[in-house]
Amino acid sequence: MATEDFIAVTGDDWYQRRRQDEEGEFFRKVSDQAGRGSRDSGGGSTRQGIYCFTASGRLLAFKNAGQAPDVMREVLKDALAKWRKLPESERRPGAVTVPELARTDSRYTRTPPPGGLIVNVFTRLLDRDANGELCDADCKGNRGDEAARDHLWLTESEWRSLAPARAKRGDQFPLADKIAERICRFHLIDNTRGEPPLWGREEVRSRKFTITVEEANSAGIRVRLDGAAVIATHADASKADRGYDVRLMGYIHFDTAKDALDRFELVAVGDHWGDGTYTRGARPGRTPLGVAFELASGKSPSDRVPPQAAREIAEYFGR
Amino acid sequence: MTVRRCPLAFGLLAALLLTSSARDGDSITPEQFAKLHKLIKPQPSEQKWEQIPWLVSLWEARGQATREGKPILLWEMDGHPLGCT
Repeated sequence: MATEDFIAVTGDDWYQRRRQDEEGEFFRKVSDQAGRGSRDSGGGSTRQGIYCFTASGRLLAFKNAGQAPDVMREVLKDALAKWRKLPESERRPGAVTVPELARTDSRYTRTPPPGGLIVNVFTRLLDRDANGELCDADCKGNRGDEAARDHLWLTESEWRSLAPARAKRGDQFPLADKIAERICRFHLIDNTRGEPPLWGREEVRSRKFTITVEEANSAGIRVRLDGAAVIATHADASKADRGYDVRLMGYIHFDTAKDALDRFELVAVGDHWGDGTYTRGARPGRTPLGVAFELASGKSPSDRVPPQAAREIAEYFGR
Repeated sequence: MTVRRCPLAFGLLAALLLTSSARDGDSITPEQFAKLHKLIKPQPSEQKWEQIPWLVSLWEARGQATREGKPILLWEMDGHPLGCT
C-alpha cells in the first residue's frame, strides 16, 4: 500500500519544524492541521508522526505511531479512503503546481561534504553465549532488539589521510584526531533505543587509534586500524553512570585506479552501561555493545541522511 | 555464521565465568573481525522497510505526488527514520 498508493517520504522533525523556507512552511501547514507542535522561534515542540496529505497540503490522516506497523497500516487505509473521496480535479496528475525551491534554509539542511565519504554505522546490543562468544542479544520484545543505523561523514582530506599516497608497508601512524574524536563522541553510542546523549569531549577519557599499512603497491593501499577507548561520564569509569569501554579494529583500502576508498570496514566491541533521557530501558550493568562501519553504496536516498550528530554541524566536524 | 540468540540469564552467567578478548582489553583479532562485522550489521528481517522506495526530500515527494496523482505518506520522527531513531 505504501509503495503503490502513496509517494513515501521520511523526515527528521528536528530540521523540518525549524527550517524557515518554503519546504518548512509547507510541512508546518500540514502539521498544523493535525494539531501538532507550536510556532515559537525555537522551532516549537515535536511534530513527529505519520502524516498522509495531498500535494496541495491538505491533511488526510495523522497518527503519532512511532514504528508500529499495524497503526501505520490503519492510517494509510483511512487516508486512502479520504483521498478517493476527493474530487478528480484535486487528484489528477498535475492538479498542483510545485515550483522549484527558491531557497533552502542552510541552518537546517545538511548535505554530505563535497568529495567526502559516507559510511554506514550500525549498532547492536550483544550478549555472550555459553561458549563466551558474542551473539545477538535477546531483548525479549523490548526496545533495542534490532540494529540501529547512522552515518559517519568524512571530508575528502580526512579520508585521504587514512591511506596516504606515500605509505609503505609496515608504516604506522595515529588516526587523525578529528576522525578519532568524531568516531568516539558521535558514533560509539548506544542508539538502539532512540536518540542517546552524545559524548562530550571531556568524556572521552582515553583513546588510541593506530593505522598500520599492510599493503602498498601500484594498485592501492590497504591499512588496518586498531584502537581502544574508554568513554565515561565520570573521570573514574567505575563511578560513571554511563560509559563504553571499547576496542576497535578494521580495514580500509584505497584503490589507485578509482582514486577512492573502496573499503572502509570497522568493528567496535566493548561493554556499555547506562542510558539517557530518551533511551531509557538499558540492560542492567555492563553489557556488550557492537558497532559496525561499512561504506555506503551511495545508491539509496537513505545514504544521504545526515549523521544524527550533524545537527551541530560545526562540532561534528571539529571546527 | 549463524546469528544466535541466547537467554539473558545464561549470557550473564557465561559473562561471569568466561573471558572474551574484546571485553577484557585485548585487540579484536582478524579472525574475529569478519564474524563480528556480520553479526552487528542488520539482518535481512530488519531491512524490510527498504522495500519501500522512501524519498528523503519532502519537496521532491510533493513534486512526484502531483506528477503521479498520488497522496503523500510522510514518516516524520525526531531522529531520522532511515537513520538514527
